[in-house]
Order: sequence, then C-alpha cells, then structure tokens
Amino acid sequence: MNSLDQDTGAELSDEEYVVSSRNGCPDHFRLLVQRYQRPLFAFLSSRLGNQSEAEEAAQESFVRAFLSLKKLRKPESFYAWLLGIAGRVLKEQFRAVERRQKDRAVAETLLAENPSSEPEYPLEEVIAVLPESYRQVILMRYYEGLSCQDVATRLEMPLGTVTKTLSRAYALLRQALQARESAETTVN
Amino acid sequence: MNCAECRESLLACLEGLLEAEQSRQCQAHFESCEACRAEYVAISRLQERLTAQGRVAAEVSLVEPVMRVLHHKQIEPERTTLMSILFKSRWGFGLGAVATAAAVLLIIGLAAPKAQAKAADVLAKGAKAVAKLTSIHLRGQLRTLPADNFSYIDANSAFYPIELWKQFPPESKWRIEKPGRVIVMDGQQTVMYIKPANEAVKLPQPTPSAFDTDWLHRIANLSDTINNELRLAQAQGWKLDLAEETAVDGRLKSIVTVHAKSGLSDADYVKNKFFHDADTRRVYRFDAQNERLEAVQIYLVRSGGEVQIFDLSQIDYDQSIDPGVWQLDLPADVSWYKEPEKLPDNAKYTAMTAEQAARAFFEACAKQDWNEAGKFMSPVSQGLKDYLGGLEIVSLGQPFTSQSYGGRFIPYEIKLKDGTVKKHNLAVRNDNPAHRWQVDGGI
Repeated sequence: MNSLDQDTGAELSDEEYVVSSRNGCPDHFRLLVQRYQRPLFAFLSSRLGNQSEAEEAAQESFVRAFLSLKKLRKPESFYAWLLGIAGRVLKEQFRAVERRQKDRAVAETLLAENPSSEPEYPLEEVIAVLPESYRQVILMRYYEGLSCQDVATRLEMPLGTVTKTLSRAYALLRQALQARESAETTVN
Repeated sequence: MNCAECRESLLACLEGLLEAEQSRQCQAHFESCEACRAEYVAISRLQERLTAQGRVAAEVSLVEPVMRVLHHKQIEPERTTLMSILFKSRWGFGLGAVATAAAVLLIIGLAAPKAQAKAADVLAKGAKAVAKLTSIHLRGQLRTLPADNFSYIDANSAFYPIELWKQFPPESKWRIEKPGRVIVMDGQQTVMYIKPANEAVKLPQPTPSAFDTDWLHRIANLSDTINNELRLAQAQGWKLDLAEETAVDGRLKSIVTVHAKSGLSDADYVKNKFFHDADTRRVYRFDAQNERLEAVQIYLVRSGGEVQIFDLSQIDYDQSIDPGVWQLDLPADVSWYKEPEKLPDNAKYTAMTAEQAARAFFEACAKQDWNEAGKFMSPVSQGLKDYLGGLEIVSLGQPFTSQSYGGRFIPYEIKLKDGTVKKHNLAVRNDNPAHRWQVDGGI
C-alpha cells in the first residue's frame, strides 16, 4: 500500500496482448507465442509422437490463431482457444497421414498409441482452464523451467505468494483432472 | 509438526525451499501420517507429470518461425483477410500506428455510437502522431501526499509536482519523481527512494513500469493509453465523449473525455484512494492540426462532486534528456527494504492474527523496542522511530478487507508522545516467505 507495493507491469495479461495484437502491435502476438509455445508443443507432441510434426502443427496453430484473432470473443481465454485450433490442426494432420499413406491403419495406430501414454485429458487442456494468474505461474515453473525464486523475481512478487499460487494451482489442477476422470468413467 | 503445518509446508518441501530441520520434520510426519503422505504422493505425481511435459518442450523455439510466416502472409498481395488489410500499408514489429488507427476505428465504429467513434478517431490519430518518439518528458501536478505511493490520490490535499522522463526502446529508461519519492530505471535495474524515510527498494532488473506508476506510464505511451482506454471502454461500458474548441491563438483543439469506473463499491475502503481504484473523468486535449496530445486533466468523480486531482500541462516530445536524469545518488546511510526472512521464533509470529500483529507492532513502538518492531516492518526508519516511539494504544478495531487489496486493514487509535491522537487504519499483509504480518501502510 505504502512504500512497499509494486505493480507488475512487466507481464501483461493474455487479454491485453490479444487486444493490442489485433489493434496493430504484432510484437505483442510474438509475446503470446513466447508464452504458449512450450505447452502447445507438449500438447501436440503427446498426440503426434513426432517432434517435427508437432513443431509444424504448433506453428500452423499460431499462424491460424493470429489470422483469426478478430474472431476470439473472450481474449482472456486465448490459450484455451489456441488449443481448440491446435485440435483442428491435429485432425487435419491425421487425415493427411491417412491420405498420404492410403492406409487408415497408420492413422489409427497413431491415434491409438499416442493417447495411451497420455490419457484423454492432457494436462495442457486442464491448464488452459485455470485462472490466468495460476496458469502463468505453472507455465513459468514447468514449461519455462524457472525456479520458484525466478518466478517471483520475474513477476515481481514475494516468493511466498508464488508458492501459495502454485499450491492453489495444483489443487485446481487435481480437481479438474478428477472431474474429467469421473466424467470419463460415467461415459464409459 | 502436525497435519495442518505439514500441509502448509508441503509445496515448499517439494520445491526444496524448506530449511533442513523443517524438511526433516515434514518427512518424519509423512512417515507417520497416511493422509498427508497420500497428499504428498499425489502432488509429487502431478509435479512429475508437469516436469515431464515441460522437458518435452524445453528446446522448442517457435517465435521466429511463426513471426516469419506471419510477415510473409501479411505482405502477400492476394491475401484479403481483415488483418492483412489492416497491416497492408505497413508491417513492422514495432508500433503499427496506421494499423492501430484502422483497427481502433473499426472496433469502435462497429460497437459504439458515432460520437464514440469520433472520439476514438482522435485518440488513434494522437497515437499515430507520436508513434516514433524517442523520448518524452511530462511535467504535471497531482493531489497526493508528497512521499506516499505514486498511485495515491487525496482529493483534500494540495497539488504536488510530478514528473516523468522516459526514453523509448531500444534503450528504455525512465525516471518518475515527486517531492518525497523518486524512481529511476536506468536500463539495468529499478530503484525507488523514499526521501523522508531515507529508505530505498531495488528491483534487480529493468522494468517497463514499477511501484504503482503504471497510470503515468500509460499517458507517456499514448498507444498503450488508447488500447487500454478503448478496451476498458468496451469491456466496462465506459463512455467516450468528443468536443472541439478554438484556443486563444486560434488553433483548433480536440478534447476526448473518458468516463472511467473502478468497479469497486462505494463502501470499499480503498475506493478513490488510488488511481486504479477511483472513478475518474479523464480529459485528453489534442492539437487538431498536429494531432499531438497537449494536456491531460483527471477528475475524481465522487458523491460530493468532482475534484481535479491531476493536471498535465507540459509535454516535451523528443527532447534530449540529460544523462544525469538516469542517476540516483542515495545517501550513504540509506536503509534498503528487505523481504522478511524466517526468524528462529517465526512460528510465534505466523500464529498471530492480523489484529494481534498490529497490537504487537504498536506495543513494540510504545516500548521503543525497535528490534521487535522490525519483525513487523523492515526497515523501521529513524523518522518513524521518532514519530511512533513512546506512543500509547487507545484502541484497535476489527480487521476488514478490500476487494482490491490482498492484506487486512486494522482500525486503530493511538496517542503519540506529543499528545496528538491519531485514528487511522493500519494495512498489514502476510504473503511473504516468512508468512509474518508486515505493516504495509496506514501510518
């Protein structure tokens, strides 16, 4: 409040980056790519099982996202929306594999094998529904490989706040994963 | 260690942030408590999964490839997407001022009445007019307390001067100063000095904004102001007005007014005390010929009527800034703010309620036990020792919270040693590594 308050101008929200990207600041889209390239790649890689195809799909997803940015109704949900685009790119990629191979079995194998190492509810999808402040800390800690102290420095917040945020983020992630598992069990 | 303490420390334990003894106690508890062990295992598994996913993506670098593709797509003549139309005449990875103007017009033109579209047009042209600045110098005055937070406003206070010098990228630097406080970001680090307290705070990295100065930076960077004001106008339903007038020199002026709402209820304690928590009417005055921003007035809108709280009448564009502006000479005996560290008897303090902590702090001040007072505030400056030393506690009230503040406020009444009675609310927060309540304001 008094001398010790610090704002966190260094990290803008997804919403702010999206709005300024569509208002003519492509540099801000660059920052969104920087923020989400790793979780998006991890998501695609676990589906495709091939690093170069995952990279290609991630690149295509970002390009489509930029060109469709005006259609994004909730800029604060950029990451969830990006994963939706990536899902469509993924389907197209599987179809392309089918066409190229002219062998449906190859694509089926891909679809069947890769999700087996990762359940139907991948972490990246669950991370996407976290409130932004929690998501930001999870992404920095695990996808950027920063220590808790580094996250605290980067976000200009006390270390204790980072560990509390992380702790709460874990709880939310576990709840979301359990909810998806129960839904899956019910369906089956 | 009991279950509650163990759960509290679980994450710190997993992250290796506990001291050896605490870590040993935590591990010992896991051995004996099945429920906590299960919790520990569940979180470890989640952590392992996250670590594995992060490792998969550790080497990926898509930024440049993506931006190259986008660049290529934007300059293709046959592209007819909306974004390519907007960027067609100008693509650069800096400020796309033409595109900004077009996009702004489009958004407002579709979503808002004509008057708002015209107001947005003036703002957008203002951004275009200053899109390639190398530096800016703002000199204005603010109703505040000279040494308080840079965002603090006090409608009953006199005006005090406030100045900003800003050098834009590639070599970003800035300085903001009012009579009792100064911040310098010299390209390497950001340091704030509070003059009466002879106290300084250092962030060891360059920052685009820090220590609650965001509202002033936004005025300096007009493009951000426009994006922000328009975004909020759309999201919060704020109103934009446009008026024109002829100045005494015959030049035409365009005046854009933004009616901003904080979203806080009138009952919230911090409402109208800080820029972001205030309902304001912001008036931007542009020269209609060169389209540059010339002046800004901000009014606090409250039930008793409007009060002007900020007046910016001098804006120097692209003037060379004396290198001395980026230097901050601090007294040799300056006290540096340190984040609270865990004490040998830390548990005694973490177990306190906010009210108990406030009482303990005031009692330490009453006894002039500055070592004890320092456990609730670091550092306790000499000025504060002189002010609070020997006080007498009259009463402490029930803590309360605010929607926009993460700590607690404790109403207090104290009698100072000169006989003055002070009645106010002490702000304390405990979101620090030591989890101790720390005095954060309200003295």
